[in-house]
Amino acid sequence: MTALLGEVVPAGGFEHEVLFYRDDESFLAGLVPFIREGLERDEAVIVAEPRPRMELLRDALGDDAVAVSFLDMAEIGANPARIIGVWAAALEKHTEAGQRLRGIGEPAFHGRRELEFVECQLHEQLLNVAFDGGPAWRLLCPYDEVRLPRAVVRAALHTHPIRTTVADRLPSDSYARDGHLDAFAAPLPKPTDAVLRGGFGPDDVPATRRTVAQYVRRVGLPEEQVQILELAASELATNSIRHGGGAGTVAMWLEPGAVVIEFSDSGHLADPLTGRLTPPLDSVGGRGLYLVHQLCDLVQVRSSPAGTTVRVLTWL
Amino acid sequence: MGFVRTHGRVVEVPEPGPADHVCWVYDDPRDLATAAARFLAGGLARGERLMVVGDGMIESLDRDTLPFGGTDTLLATGALQVLDHATVYDGTGRFTPAQQLAFYDAAARKALDDGFTGLRVAAEVSALAADPVSRPALVRWEHLADDLMASGSGFTALCAYRADLGREALTEVASVHPVVRAPEGVPPFHVFHDRDRVVLTGSVDAFTATRLSRVLAESPAARPSMVLDLGRLEFVDVAGCRVLARWAQGLGGPLRVTGASGLVQRMWRLLGLDAVAPVTFEGLRA
Repeated sequence: MTALLGEVVPAGGFEHEVLFYRDDESFLAGLVPFIREGLERDEAVIVAEPRPRMELLRDALGDDAVAVSFLDMAEIGANPARIIGVWAAALEKHTEAGQRLRGIGEPAFHGRRELEFVECQLHEQLLNVAFDGGPAWRLLCPYDEVRLPRAVVRAALHTHPIRTTVADRLPSDSYARDGHLDAFAAPLPKPTDAVLRGGFGPDDVPATRRTVAQYVRRVGLPEEQVQILELAASELATNSIRHGGGAGTVAMWLEPGAVVIEFSDSGHLADPLTGRLTPPLDSVGGRGLYLVHQLCDLVQVRSSPAGTTVRVLTWL
Repeated sequence: MGFVRTHGRVVEVPEPGPADHVCWVYDDPRDLATAAARFLAGGLARGERLMVVGDGMIESLDRDTLPFGGTDTLLATGALQVLDHATVYDGTGRFTPAQQLAFYDAAARKALDDGFTGLRVAAEVSALAADPVSRPALVRWEHLADDLMASGSGFTALCAYRADLGREALTEVASVHPVVRAPEGVPPFHVFHDRDRVVLTGSVDAFTATRLSRVLAESPAARPSMVLDLGRLEFVDVAGCRVLARWAQGLGGPLRVTGASGLVQRMWRLLGLDAVAPVTFEGLRA
């Protein structure tokens, strides 16, 4: 395991590392030593993987597995915008307890939808922003370089400052430090199908949420999803009224496999982390978007001085 | 657990019941006269003592729209009492919720003692609602009155408000009545009492949450164990949940919440509101 410690990369702060694997063998060869090293150093080790990979690791770790916390990435990262909050809570808890954190997180796992990969990439970029300047901890992100789309694999080199292999750790040459700025400001692709669209003002929030509820009920979503989207619509419309220039536009359409509700306004969401971290109890804003991220299947937020768009997808 | 009391939005005066509390918003005095007559006639049929309070309401009596026939006889036998505001307000013209409660509590007991089955009041209260200074006290009184009505005192009331009071004032006063006749959208939510429960119905969002906070702040003093019924709540957002949590926090005792939707419970947990107030959720909504 000493082979892993070619400490070429200066340690300290948040170390966000990518590890490419080709098969179960190289997956375990890369991760098991990383976990064991953490346990030997008495660090808190948290593994966030989809279930099959989690079980693979658990088996390989044997008795050591009991000292590791496992999280189901398919659950906590179903909407990738929820993941930063999970790491932030863990980091806070262990830092308070005087223990260093070491994580494994595979948000971009094989089998995810294309749009989920898009959000995984933004999530990876925002991790660098969220934990920059905070306590020292390591997060290793495995990427399946055989089965994942090539673009997803290539992007991982842009989003991780460190590339880790079984042999060493090196700075990633193609890491784009401020990559999140462009990604967060880039407009979302236009819908291809017929879109229902309408504007709303300060007095129209109840009507807007009812319109959304009616639409998603009509396209056949179950009542539980209808209620969630009605709430999301209310929170997002309220944000447009309160922070987005006092008015906004709601658009609704169907895509293959998804119902989409989109809110746009002329406001600028300056902090791309808004809604990704658990808002403190006494904070005024940020809760609406936080709740939308927690409750909805996939949420795409984009903002620039030209305006803000929040696209909420519900899988059919 | 079903509701004992009649509640909801109406277009006509509902069939009389033992705990009616109706907010009647009117444009036309003749409309008020008809509504008051119907409301009072229902009480007469139930053997209740009738009380007419306030100048606007007394005028409607004068119009002779009451279908009782012999109003004088009713007055003479004590089955009907007509009071101007000064009398109800302790002769001082000053209005306080506590004094109002004492007055109507005594009047309701007296009605029962005198052999009536209850006390049915039709009151015109626009003047108090019109003044932003006296309005909070009025809302508090309406709340106390509602609690008294919900607790089997035999006290029932129709509270009339002129439509030209404006949306803000009307929404505020209508919010604390279980039964409301008012323009569409007024009020978006209701807070009323049903036996020992506080019931919240309708919709609460970021634009109405502050009002809910004010209304709840005026609700009668906390009981040892409070129950909040959300079984008929149509919608509540983050701001509404936070208002409920802060109210629960201020109660100084545990709050049981019944009939909350699964989504409300999820929101409560996700927003960390457990840490604000010790709330137990019971009876998930089907």
